[in-house]
Amino acid sequence: MDALSYFAISWLSPELLGLTALGTFLGIYVGAIPGLSVTMAVSILISFTFSWDVNYALCLMVGVFMGGVYGGSRTAILLNIPGAPSAIATALDGYPLAKKGLAGEAIGLSTIMSVVGGFVGIFVLSIAAPSISEFALTFQPRDYMMLGILGIMLVGSLSGGSLAKGIFAGAFGLLIGTVGLDPMTAEERFTFGVVELWDGINPVAVMIGLFGISEALHQLHHMNKAVVKQKISRIIPKWMDVKKYLPLSLQSSFIGVIVGALPGTGGDIAALMAYDHAKRITKKPEVEFGKGAKEGLIAPEAANNAAVGGAYIPMLTLGIPGDAVTAVFIGALFIHGLNPGPLLMVEQPHMFWFTVGNLTLANIFVLIFGLTGIKLFSKIVECPKGILIPLIFLLSVVGAYAINNSVIDIWWMLAFGVFGYFMRQYGFPVGPVILGVILSSLTDENWRRAILSERGSLTDLFSNLLSSPLSTVLLFAIVFILVSQSPIWTRWIKPNLLRSKTN
Amino acid sequence: MKKRLLSTVAGIALMSGAAFADYPTKDIQGIIQWGAGGSTDTVMRSISPHVEKELGTDIILTNKTGGVGAIALKYVNAKKPDGYTLLMGAENPQMYKVLGLSDTDYNDMVAINILARGTPIFVAQKDAPYNNMQELIDYAKANPGKVKFGSTGKGGLTSIVMAMLESQVDLDYTSIPYNGDGPALTALQGGAIDVMPSVLGATVEHLKAGRMKALGVVDVEESKLLPGVAPITDTLPGMKAYLPWGPFFGVFVKKGTPEDAVEKLQAAFHKAAFSPDFIDLMEKRGFTILNVSGEEADMFLSGYRSTSSWLVHEAGFSKRSPEEFNIPKP
Amino acid sequence: MPRTVYRRPGERVFCFLLVVFSVYLFWQAYGISGFSELSSPGAFPLATSATMVIAACVVFVNTLKLPEAEGVRFFYHCFPPIVGIVMALILIFAIMLESLGFILSSFFFLFVGIQFLYQKSVLTTLTITVLSLVVVYIIFRLVFQVVLPEGIVPEREILAAIEQFWRG
Repeated sequence: MDALSYFAISWLSPELLGLTALGTFLGIYVGAIPGLSVTMAVSILISFTFSWDVNYALCLMVGVFMGGVYGGSRTAILLNIPGAPSAIATALDGYPLAKKGLAGEAIGLSTIMSVVGGFVGIFVLSIAAPSISEFALTFQPRDYMMLGILGIMLVGSLSGGSLAKGIFAGAFGLLIGTVGLDPMTAEERFTFGVVELWDGINPVAVMIGLFGISEALHQLHHMNKAVVKQKISRIIPKWMDVKKYLPLSLQSSFIGVIVGALPGTGGDIAALMAYDHAKRITKKPEVEFGKGAKEGLIAPEAANNAAVGGAYIPMLTLGIPGDAVTAVFIGALFIHGLNPGPLLMVEQPHMFWFTVGNLTLANIFVLIFGLTGIKLFSKIVECPKGILIPLIFLLSVVGAYAINNSVIDIWWMLAFGVFGYFMRQYGFPVGPVILGVILSSLTDENWRRAILSERGSLTDLFSNLLSSPLSTVLLFAIVFILVSQSPIWTRWIKPNLLRSKTN
Repeated sequence: MKKRLLSTVAGIALMSGAAFADYPTKDIQGIIQWGAGGSTDTVMRSISPHVEKELGTDIILTNKTGGVGAIALKYVNAKKPDGYTLLMGAENPQMYKVLGLSDTDYNDMVAINILARGTPIFVAQKDAPYNNMQELIDYAKANPGKVKFGSTGKGGLTSIVMAMLESQVDLDYTSIPYNGDGPALTALQGGAIDVMPSVLGATVEHLKAGRMKALGVVDVEESKLLPGVAPITDTLPGMKAYLPWGPFFGVFVKKGTPEDAVEKLQAAFHKAAFSPDFIDLMEKRGFTILNVSGEEADMFLSGYRSTSSWLVHEAGFSKRSPEEFNIPKP
Repeated sequence: MPRTVYRRPGERVFCFLLVVFSVYLFWQAYGISGFSELSSPGAFPLATSATMVIAACVVFVNTLKLPEAEGVRFFYHCFPPIVGIVMALILIFAIMLESLGFILSSFFFLFVGIQFLYQKSVLTTLTITVLSLVVVYIIFRLVFQVVLPEGIVPEREILAAIEQFWRG
């Protein structure tokens, strides 16, 4: 019974209810504006709510977190600029929908599916947190490495026409991710002696450049083409649609929770993996992926919001942050005099159910704020290009600056914008580049940790891959995807295998 | 009546403040060397509101990461020395010279306050076959290359503590680098590494819950937070030469900042560090409050620099010799 | 972008540049730690840059095989003057940002940009520019406390004066 009363704390107090609503509302905008991150907003709130009671502060921050993860999809759909890395996959099919005049429907559907994902995340958090966090801890460097490889294989589904071009883009992204002081040995990699490059190239700067700037430059070709009129008659998706896509969004949500709960991975990787999953299991999509397939919109949106609940799992049970935002939450709890750690649930028994209740509430507000104001938002796409394009540039520049208060990020963003523009002109996909940037350090570092743990012996590494059930499963997943999906295999090996049988 | 009078007085004070350009007349920017959610960030965000109250102005906190903190240091030193840009950082710059990262360190700046110092500690997996430093050393010697030590890169805390340890005993172990002690401690709980030198604050909650065990505090005496865990000097008395030693947090301004601004900032931080909730936070996180400025701070900074620089140099991973910078031997 | 069945103008050069670029990166990656250990900092960059070299070569060869597209001109279809002009405008904006400060440089950028692309009366452009600048400034500088480059405008002094005016 205690649990229920803790759960309801934020529901019954008008102040807490109001703060959660305010937080969620603010969060949607923080998420939508590229360069403003939830991490940043939550740390500003730490100073702002310093003298408040801890519950009040947490309500505001939880709202910002939930709203922010959802908000990233807004600009991804409307302008092809993901508000945050976790919305990259959303842009792939969301933006084509907006170009067809279906922005309203796309936002509506993404809202519903985000909320579904959010609830799955919260549900798993509330019933299975301790066992999942123990499970997440058992991931060894070699398992993280294989997760990274699984992610890299998404290049196949993000390449569009030419696989060679996709592989080039993916490898380029992985290489960009290695720029800077190597976090393991402090060796300089591709820094050319420039101190500003020590910390590497920020993925968000690459993302804003490749998506936002290059798209806006491309739009300049069609200045005299009339803007697409948005159909705003249907915003709340058809029940039939929701029902049809529910299985996919549930599966994606589970991917989101697990990837979110792992201390080394977050919503961005979850969303991309869910996108790939959707592409793999959807045998006959109504619309092709990359051209506005609803499946490609639903899966990442469900997954990244489910990752919120996932990220809380190790944080509340063990005091280990599941992602960058929960790391800031841990700092906030410290400042408010609580001791986040494995004993939090013993010393502060109300904290767990209070957070679960608060997350649920914030998720309901996402639904409410998400479905209102869509008409107004859709109008952004109808804004004359002559005004919209300069504004996109301004926002991109300010956003890139805001990442780390540094002008260098603006230069990188512009460089990648121009490069991305030419990539698009010559049929290179830009998605794999950003995929590579995101997965680079995960794969690189864990590969090296894995091989260091075996004292440099590859044979030991492979024999250990088969000794742990988790590693074995991951290994088989990689092999399976390679065999069944990769065009090289289907085109070359499969016919050859068949031929050898018939001979 | 009283309230109105007060506000009028405050108003006049502010007005006259502006007229005579008394420091501070505008917002102050605080540059935090590390990212949001890290321990430097937490410490600075918890003291700033108290300082704001003392100074009567806002401090805008900005995280500026990169180059092991060197980018923030460079940024602050590129600004005007007017006391409106503060560097809020951790111990790293004291190693910049020998690691070849920068030619500037805290000794070339003005210390506003060295807030607190952390205590290093050796922790191990909860079911490891050793319970204290001696048993660890014996085990590592009996099983060369078997024990996996977590590390956080050259120049990081773990590398210096390991250099101290290796100046006393010869060990054959495998070092697995992590990107910060958070991920490394997580890996310790998952069994990817066996032992890890970390700081007390980061481990104390996990130790209390029994999720890992403490082998020894890297200090000359027991910690109040962990009674019963022997100091490392019990096993290795030779370590006394380096201890007490530990990472610290401090606030700095560029050299050449007007005397008046420096004094006001020092007074404000000094007073703020006495506020009960700050003290409470620091104690819970296992930090020893120093709250020093001026000569005392300079002595502390120089001491830290000589110990660490020479350790790193003798362990063989310095890029330049401490002698080049006239850093005296401890 | 529609899938190119024909070779677009400049595509050969672009793909060739990618090959050169990849080879250069491979050489740089080799410089990190050579072919030493599998766990060396240079191992992963070597692997990725090698992949880039191979993929870039495949793409380049494929491109050479494609027939040239007819009636497509580089400076009309791939890089029209308008794109070049806007790129130059952004470049000037980015250069001026630190020295002039955010407010002045973005004012000029927005004003010139909107005037050039939207081509309505100066007054309309001015209104849109000022309005959007105010919104961006409030969101970034005041709400989220991103201290944008101040340049020659003494922003903090102005803000302090405004605050005092309200207090006083």
